[in-house]
Amino acid sequence: MRNYFIRRLIYSLLTVLMIATVTFFMMHSIPGGPFTREKPVPPEIMRVLNEKYKLDQPLYMQYLDYMKGLVTFNLGPSFSKVGISVNDLIVEGFPQTAKVGFLAALLIIIMGVPFGIISALKQNRPIDYIVMFMATLGVTIPSFVIASLIIYFFAGKLGWIPPFGLSTMGSYIGPVVALAGYSLSFVTRLTRSSMLEVLRQDYVRTARANGLRELSVIGKHAVKNALIPVITYMGPTIAALMTGSFVVERIFAIPGIGRYFVESVSNRDYTVIMGITVIYAAFYVLMVLLVDMAYALIDPRIRFEKESK
Amino acid sequence: MDSSKFTFIDKSVTEIPEKMRPSLTYWQDAWRRLKNHKMAMAGLVGVVIIVMIAVFGPFFFSKSYSDQNLDYANVPPRLTIYQLEEGYNVFLTRDYKLLQVSDKGEIISRLKRTKTDPIKKHYTYEDKESGISVVLDFSYNLLPDKMGYPYDYTFIYGGEEIINPLKKVGNRTYPFGSDILGRDLMIRVVYGARISLTVALVASLVNLFIGVVYGSAAGYEGGRTDTVMMRFVDILNSIPLVLYVILIMVVVGNRGLWTMIIALGSVYWVVMARLVRGQVLSLKNQEFVLAAQALGVSKRQIIFRHLIPNAMGPIIVSMTMMIPSAVFTEAFIGFIGLGVSAPMASWGTLANDALSGLLSYPYQLFFPSLAIALTMLSFNFLGDGLRDALDPRLRKG
Repeated sequence: MRNYFIRRLIYSLLTVLMIATVTFFMMHSIPGGPFTREKPVPPEIMRVLNEKYKLDQPLYMQYLDYMKGLVTFNLGPSFSKVGISVNDLIVEGFPQTAKVGFLAALLIIIMGVPFGIISALKQNRPIDYIVMFMATLGVTIPSFVIASLIIYFFAGKLGWIPPFGLSTMGSYIGPVVALAGYSLSFVTRLTRSSMLEVLRQDYVRTARANGLRELSVIGKHAVKNALIPVITYMGPTIAALMTGSFVVERIFAIPGIGRYFVESVSNRDYTVIMGITVIYAAFYVLMVLLVDMAYALIDPRIRFEKESK
Repeated sequence: MDSSKFTFIDKSVTEIPEKMRPSLTYWQDAWRRLKNHKMAMAGLVGVVIIVMIAVFGPFFFSKSYSDQNLDYANVPPRLTIYQLEEGYNVFLTRDYKLLQVSDKGEIISRLKRTKTDPIKKHYTYEDKESGISVVLDFSYNLLPDKMGYPYDYTFIYGGEEIINPLKKVGNRTYPFGSDILGRDLMIRVVYGARISLTVALVASLVNLFIGVVYGSAAGYEGGRTDTVMMRFVDILNSIPLVLYVILIMVVVGNRGLWTMIIALGSVYWVVMARLVRGQVLSLKNQEFVLAAQALGVSKRQIIFRHLIPNAMGPIIVSMTMMIPSAVFTEAFIGFIGLGVSAPMASWGTLANDALSGLLSYPYQLFFPSLAIALTMLSFNFLGDGLRDALDPRLRKG
């Protein structure tokens, strides 16, 4: 188990480095640079700027330089925001994004899983239909529509929640619901179908035949196995939620890092693009790693299989 | 041996007496299952209708998706009309344009504003042709809490004050309303269907092609090739795909339809590659592959003639699920302002355009969103049904 973990950790770090490399070269292949303006910049100034940000060096030198910075957690200065480093941007923006993302992930788990289980247990009853109807609706409506509707009705017409920012507790409701909407519905559907499959299995029948109480059959035996696909799905999803959604942050005017997403690409703000991508990739890889660890804890079959390899 | 000792036996002996059910092929069986699946059939009908509208819809309009008429900008799909004279109704837009509307809801003309009285908060509108002159009193809106008046404005025509609207009618000229430049929103939504569906369909086909070739090659080769190829897919998968789509959009430059297709097509094939690889891995050790190998069939033939056709079920299911998610992604990219450039419109860019005027003109967001939701719903239902019909694991039950 420990060897396996260490091997996975090394592999994850390599993945992050690979992603950083790919992004670096892809980004520099975009025509134009961070100081390309509609009004041409005088060549002397351009030269000084390029020199200052080391853009005059050959690409591989820039790459090595950046990688050196990355290893020491120094993501470099932002090109378009003068005097601000990418570290500053992330330190300032990430907590807001992460707070909303964390709440959204929490909402998905505490609502999606129980509703999915209830729906599976009451298959083809009214409550199942209601839950599935809501869940189907949830996966068909894009998040920007949900966000706009929330603003229109709850902030505009009814005035229950503030339409932007994260100033009060109430202002979290809009972004969290909009962010969670799709995944919440997806998790509900996933839990239901996986639960239905597990309930048909022999060992559940055996547990019932042995006279276990229904609560313990469901809670102890069925749910544990039914949650495996849900955990698989939740790993990357949590990573995506925590690193923010451009749309939700834009509509609700949240000062997070998601809003730099598009802005930095069109500004050719190389370091910001890199910073955001690396953060996302690191989160993603970490979540996948955690999911794999969780598997090993939940499901002995997977544990043995991995060890015997 | 004397042949005369032998006689022909009656044919009925060799024939099986009971009539057997005709054996169904895999596809016939799947179609039979699909037909019994009500939701899936509803989804199929929905998909067919949406595709028909996208393909043939624009031929039925005399106007184009880019025709503007600033006089009729931001006209909602429901009009509250006030009757000045028998057969002469007017509608006041939210930006204080006065339009003449027929009883049925056709917009006839725009009345010119000729006089402004800033003290009494009166506007005077005139229609030279029919000689009608009407005064709009919008002072109520500016009173604190409207002083208890239940209405926002009144018309003064011929010395009388018209307080109550005649009725609400549906907008005949612009059934879905018009946008900020006075373009017909219905035509734009129908054209948007063309753009959105083309992007989704072509991108899905590209995904299908790359994914199937890549996945089957990795799965069939196995060993180190497989490991390297799948590691690459893993890495690609852990990159924020939307960021890459944006990068590609910027790299390719002009924001036409093809840019979008390239961007979506080049990134989303990893899911398909994984699926096909898994299928190939489970199929390649079966006897029919061994038989083909023993007969000396080439690798390519085995993959395309033997393995892929047998994995077609899950591939098709995944494909039906991919189309709505491509519509979704396209809408998302359109929404963040990187979609197809104006005056072309996809559902995403339409929704994005509507956002700035959301509180005043919510209908501009409603119709594109409805279109997206209906498409998603249809494809999802169809996909669910296809999975039930095609997935061999569920056929046991």
